[in-house]
Amino acid sequence: MKKKRTKMTAGHRKKLFKRNMEAYSFLLPNLILFILCSIYPVIWTLKYVFYQYGGIGTGDPKWVGLHNLIRVFQDEVYWQSVINTFVYGFGKVLIIIPLAFFLALLLNRQTRFNGIAQSMVFLPTIMSSAVMGLVFYLLFNAYNGQVNQYLMSLNIIDSPINWLGKEHAMTTLIITAIWGGVGNYMVYFIAGLQQVAKDALESAKIDGAGPVQTLWYVTIPMMGPILKIILMLSITSAFNDITNVMVLTEGGPNNATMVMSLYGYRYFFPISASEAVVPQYGYGAAVSVVSAVIAGAVTVLYLRASRKLDDIY
Amino acid sequence: MESAVKSRRLSAKAGRVCGILFLVVMILFTLYPIIYTVLGSLKTNAELTAGGSFFPEEWQFQNYYQAFVQADFVKYTANSVILAVSTTALAVVSCALAGFMFARRDFAGKKILLALYTSMMFISLGSVTLYPIYQFLQNLGLDKSMAGLVIALTGGQAVNVLLVMGFVKGIPKELDEAAIIDGCTIYGVFGRILLPLMKPILAVVALFVFRNTWNDYITTLIMTITNPDLQTLTVAVVQLKYSVNAAAEWHIMLAGASIAIIPILIVYLLCNKQFIAGLTAGAVKG
Repeated sequence: MKKKRTKMTAGHRKKLFKRNMEAYSFLLPNLILFILCSIYPVIWTLKYVFYQYGGIGTGDPKWVGLHNLIRVFQDEVYWQSVINTFVYGFGKVLIIIPLAFFLALLLNRQTRFNGIAQSMVFLPTIMSSAVMGLVFYLLFNAYNGQVNQYLMSLNIIDSPINWLGKEHAMTTLIITAIWGGVGNYMVYFIAGLQQVAKDALESAKIDGAGPVQTLWYVTIPMMGPILKIILMLSITSAFNDITNVMVLTEGGPNNATMVMSLYGYRYFFPISASEAVVPQYGYGAAVSVVSAVIAGAVTVLYLRASRKLDDIY
Repeated sequence: MESAVKSRRLSAKAGRVCGILFLVVMILFTLYPIIYTVLGSLKTNAELTAGGSFFPEEWQFQNYYQAFVQADFVKYTANSVILAVSTTALAVVSCALAGFMFARRDFAGKKILLALYTSMMFISLGSVTLYPIYQFLQNLGLDKSMAGLVIALTGGQAVNVLLVMGFVKGIPKELDEAAIIDGCTIYGVFGRILLPLMKPILAVVALFVFRNTWNDYITTLIMTITNPDLQTLTVAVVQLKYSVNAAAEWHIMLAGASIAIIPILIVYLLCNKQFIAGLTAGAVKG
């Protein structure tokens, strides 16, 4: 620790160097992982947007300039997948947020029963969306699945619904996404409700406000800031969902449930084990970058819109 | 007057009934697929596909025997356990070290690094980034090994590093200073003073990394393409969907699915409070 400081500047520099080395010795394990798994893949993807490349053994990557990006903008299936992503995302968010909010209102008070109910509703969020995607695949199977069997034995429907067919696949996907996520947002809302000041609720009660009035005029306005964060999280996570789509519908039938994230993926890897794929890494990279920009734009637009909401209040 | 009070009381009662009804429906909705998985894993394939009673007519425990022995699930279970434990360990150690340093010292390049870590939370190119990682590991000769898989599964951990950093910032700095005056090095400050205090946040990180690794599908699938011997339970179960006689193997699929979800269910039973509290710590503050 003790070093002679004959030369003030040199000694100082040495000490600074030692301090920096110490710092980086702590950072090193994570830094290696961060550079390898986070930074490098982003740079790689950005680079290959401008190349045509089919992988090792297919010749060197070929510079094609903006060709891949132009192709993305002309790719009708891709834009269909963008629309599908929005349908999926809004469908999921619009249903999951009110459901989660009501659950939070009902289970907010810290009682033993509420604690148990909370952990039951939260349970799906710790499950593998891949494994449960397989289970839903069996449950929603048109002829042998239990969903149709129950609906038919209750006489709600006469003939089996093709849940995973072109017409209903998106609905089924959204139902399973709600199943997997509602507990998450319920917990966020409970955290938000706990921040609503108790005395505001008390004084509302003293003033004679009913439960609905209290909810509408006190609780919801006071939840504003946290609601904004929750909506933001739900939108961005909906854009990233891929595993459940991959296992349940594989983007099909006929691209009916193809979402942006899966569309880029399929130019890199086969979606299902029964599919043969000729990889197009350059084009896949371009698709992924455009998708990331779209998701980013939605986030920015949302932030702007929610700031406007602030001005109104 | 009296009738107004009465009607109000009545509507409050009706509201409460509606609330309870809603809750019951939601709990049935969330629990049913899990109950179906576990009970279905004990039925015959015919019973599953023809639609029988809620409980199995005869409890088919040999489904599990078939899954474990014929479908090789012993191996996949071992892989899942080894991977989940080592990934969790690597993530916790690396996040603890980095989070501590970011919170406690100024050093050259800190600002740039922090900006990079934060921005990586917002750039999401999705699963395609697995290809360059895979290629890189291949160049190192790690693509067919458990070590390579652990690296890919651990990943950058940017969110968790920032989470740990935020937590350490909340611990009074006087503690470190006192230790340094007493002759502690920075390593001593970390190991003896702060590490014990960081336990709560590291438990959150461990819990979530463990869950994510255990449940992961895409990363493990891609990294084991050239060496299926390293597949985990999650990957192996889903692959059953593509097997030749999938239609006749629903019972094996559900037995496999149960084997894959029961360990995480047990973890959840033991620490569901931490899961729920950890989620709020990570999302709302961070």
